[in-house]
Amino acid sequence: MSSVDQNQTLMTQDGVPLKVSLKRSQRRSKMRAFMLVFPLLAFIFISFIVPIGSLFTRSVDDTLVNEVLPLTFEELKNWDGQDVPGEPMFAAMFMDLKNADKIQIGRVSTRMNYEKSGWKSLLKKTSRKMKNIDGPPYKEQMLKIHKRWGKVEFWQSLTAMKDPYTLGYYLNSVDLKYGYNKSIEQQPEKRQVYNLLWKRTLLVSLLVTVFCLLLGYPVAHLLATLPLSKSNLLMICVLIPFWTSLLVRIVSWMVMLQQEGVVNDTLVAFGLPEEWRLPMMYNFTGTLIVMTQILLPFMILPIYSVMKTIPPSYMRAAQNLGATPTLAFLRVYMPQTLPGIGAGSILVFIVAIGYYITPELVGGKDGRLIGNFIAFHMQNTLNWGLAAAMGVILLAGILILYWLYDKIVGIDNMKMG
Amino acid sequence: MGSSGPFVRYENVQKSYDGETLVVKNLNLDIAKGEFVTMLGPSGSGKTTCLMMLAGFETATHGDIMLDGKPINNIPPHKRGIGMVFQNYALFPHMTVNENLAFPLSVRKMGKADTEEKVRRALDMVQMGQFGDRRPGQLSGGQQQRVALARALVFEPELVLMDEPLGALDKQLREHMQYEIKHIHESLGVTVVYVTHDQSEALTMSNRIAVFDDGIIQQLADPVTLYEKPENSFVAQFIGENNKLSGTVGAISKGVTTVDLGKHGSIKAAAVNVSKGDKTTVSLRPERIEFSSKKPAASKPSLPAKVLELIYLGDHIRCRLDVAGNDEFIVKVPNSSLSADLKPGVKGHVSWKTEDCRALDFVG
Amino acid sequence: MALPIYATTGQKVWHYTYLTICAFVLFFLIAPLIVVIPLSFTSGVFLSFTPEMLSLDPEGFSLKWYKNMLGMCNDPSIKTMCSDKWKTGAINSAIIAVAATALSTGLGTVAAIGLSNPLMPFRKIIMATLISPLIVPLIITASGMFLFYAKVNLIGTYTGLILAHAALGTPFVVITVTATLSGFDRNLVKASQNLGANVFTTFFKVQMPLILPGVISGGLFAFITSFDEVVVVLFMGGPETVTLPRQMWSGIRQEISPTILAAATCLVLISILLLTTLELLRRRNERLRGITH
Repeated sequence: MSSVDQNQTLMTQDGVPLKVSLKRSQRRSKMRAFMLVFPLLAFIFISFIVPIGSLFTRSVDDTLVNEVLPLTFEELKNWDGQDVPGEPMFAAMFMDLKNADKIQIGRVSTRMNYEKSGWKSLLKKTSRKMKNIDGPPYKEQMLKIHKRWGKVEFWQSLTAMKDPYTLGYYLNSVDLKYGYNKSIEQQPEKRQVYNLLWKRTLLVSLLVTVFCLLLGYPVAHLLATLPLSKSNLLMICVLIPFWTSLLVRIVSWMVMLQQEGVVNDTLVAFGLPEEWRLPMMYNFTGTLIVMTQILLPFMILPIYSVMKTIPPSYMRAAQNLGATPTLAFLRVYMPQTLPGIGAGSILVFIVAIGYYITPELVGGKDGRLIGNFIAFHMQNTLNWGLAAAMGVILLAGILILYWLYDKIVGIDNMKMG
Repeated sequence: MGSSGPFVRYENVQKSYDGETLVVKNLNLDIAKGEFVTMLGPSGSGKTTCLMMLAGFETATHGDIMLDGKPINNIPPHKRGIGMVFQNYALFPHMTVNENLAFPLSVRKMGKADTEEKVRRALDMVQMGQFGDRRPGQLSGGQQQRVALARALVFEPELVLMDEPLGALDKQLREHMQYEIKHIHESLGVTVVYVTHDQSEALTMSNRIAVFDDGIIQQLADPVTLYEKPENSFVAQFIGENNKLSGTVGAISKGVTTVDLGKHGSIKAAAVNVSKGDKTTVSLRPERIEFSSKKPAASKPSLPAKVLELIYLGDHIRCRLDVAGNDEFIVKVPNSSLSADLKPGVKGHVSWKTEDCRALDFVG
Repeated sequence: MALPIYATTGQKVWHYTYLTICAFVLFFLIAPLIVVIPLSFTSGVFLSFTPEMLSLDPEGFSLKWYKNMLGMCNDPSIKTMCSDKWKTGAINSAIIAVAATALSTGLGTVAAIGLSNPLMPFRKIIMATLISPLIVPLIITASGMFLFYAKVNLIGTYTGLILAHAALGTPFVVITVTATLSGFDRNLVKASQNLGANVFTTFFKVQMPLILPGVISGGLFAFITSFDEVVVVLFMGGPETVTLPRQMWSGIRQEISPTILAAATCLVLISILLLTTLELLRRRNERLRGITH
């Protein structure tokens, strides 16, 4: 191959420069490929990406309060934040509450209660008795309805909600909150739960990853070194649980581990005193045991597929060069399995950190993880902003780990079964 | 049918993949009906591209390709009716051998009875009659090769292309298949265009060989001419073994020149595409050289030589010598004419006939 | 794996320890599932082996929990809830899973064909987007979908669940079909054209049969994903769309009875069936590619 003269452009037969015509046909080809992908891309975008995006917006959205209490927030700008505000502020608050309907007040009071507990009952009572007030001065009459109107902390807590967006939910997710004028401060002692929860989630994921590695590595090695007919048989023990419904596996563990379960029955049959039956379910231990069993295949399969590619000649060569089997294993075999270990560990950790079903059913009180609290806030307290913020933090962590996974093994190499 | 003109014609064909470099530069090639033409060359020389353009999987950037007198640039591959054997056979793995062979017939809407008859005949031709119900995965490499050949021929194309079809086979099987392909070609009379990088394959089978390098046909000739009378150093080097000596072309008369080898003296050589004063590489085939410990007659071109190494190869002995400063100078001595005085360290002379010594273009 | 003759005592001890560990882990993986199966045939009402069962007395076994699961409620010894909820659950699951699988397999296969084109622009980022439903934890997906689908009134509808499950299933289809296509010999397409077949014949006679195993296994992955899924159903399902896992979930939370074990046994059998199908497909695929055992 040689380069064509600089001053001579290659032409096609119809006189178009070749480069142009090549580009054109490539573009057509690209377009055709893209049109094939487009329907799915659009589908995933609408049914999945946009919903995830709505978590983002929900986690910072604070428009509700601003829409319902516009006059109050306008007035709040002029307030020094030191003493209980004067008549104009009370008037603004009164007008805002009067203009809002019942549902709106319900929602707003829930939102305001996240910042300062007490708002809910305050607004409820006020709006119920507001019809008794027929004109100014409002301050006096409102103070009569509820004495909390006279407490400066309540007015100060309003400043945390003054913008249409907020990072308050993120702060709440890590046991912080907005104080006066969006200064950041610690949550009061009794409301601090989330830092513990994050730590526990990380701890559980880490422990489960370590257990999976310790248990999975020897099995992967056995499967990779046994002759195919035998290893296929043992592989079934790995694949059947992998393919079985999560709930079925949880049910089966309940049968095994509960107080009157198979494990305890067996132990008792072997002489364990009845009153010493081990508590293995509905606690931290239960979460660990069940999650380890459920996630074990995610560890075994990647390590196995890496080990499968290591020819036995390496171990033979090492031993031929004078290394003991142990040394040969540690210095020659093990380093080659590191990509598998890395892939398996990250995979198990990623899946474990977002777990919800398992801890919910077998975790009891001290086995609940961040996922359970997201569900709790989504379904019970309806504090969607907080749930969304926790979800976004979790998601960000997972994406970082996933990026790492991509660096180590590549997305394209993701294997299943 | 244009029986007067050539069957396949490449006319000023150029091909570029990126718009900057030409993989095929101004190719002109005529192939007659019934001919077996091989495109021979190293990888990247443009030979496969030429084949793919003929099959229709690549389009020429410039120029025309004619089949039977008609340009085929705008005919899609599936309407060209050209048979092809692919490098890795490209047998459809989900179809049996019979189904593979029936495929081109069924897309041509041939009746069931005719199809069966043709498939049977094609398989018998390559001695694969009893394997019709197997799948390609159950066949050996050689058997797959035969099936691929049968599939390319079953719809009776007038032109068959073969893209390194024997590349994946071991040496013995490859040689055997060479003869089979040659015989099939002879008995069917189809035109074959064959691509390979293996010179012995090309020499065995072809009527004519086009040696490709750098997107250009370096020489187009029958095997004998190609081997005996290479037109340039590339061809001399690529086909067969070759000893090289560097020198300067002297006066030329009647196609014979005297090449000045500098301090090593001068020799007579056939001048090929060189003129006086050019630097030249002189080419000498190892089997056309004689070694003798005595100085040969002055009329015979010769140079002093020293034996460095002998390698016994059964039918002949490879003898490495130091000649005119080239210590990789090889002479093939037939087993029968081995003499006792041929030993490492012995000094003597190498000699040859003038017409076996060709002064070609200079290569560094 | 056998030990050489010259192995030292230490090596022997270690070797048997290693085998014991492996045996324990494999037991740990499979035992819970095995325990469930005999227990689902208990004639008792507790989730533990009765003495009759342990002595293999036929009296200790019965099909009554299976009858209970199927809504045959004439057994007076059963006090737990008995209704045809399991049956409707199974039907709902099947409807949703089949529809979601059809959607994800169709879209996923076509997209995989586009993605395997070497000229495909932004290949990597598009691939990452298409696989993302597999990476994002279900609880996050479910929360996001709940917030968004509520706005478009799809909560509690079949449509909502089908769309959601289809999104969860597509990554499997895309991954398996792309993998199958990457092993696809492009020369086969050329060969087919050379032998006279046009684009459509080539696609349906050559390309499609060869990638079909990949499409089917991707579809099976998608099916089982939908069929077993419970988190999204918990968030987005309504009283009309109670699926089998959803039914199981409430069963577990309220009162875990042997009926649940009967359902679990059925699900284990379904997964064994799927696994076998997948394995057969894999073997067929390997055989087609000439990898013979």
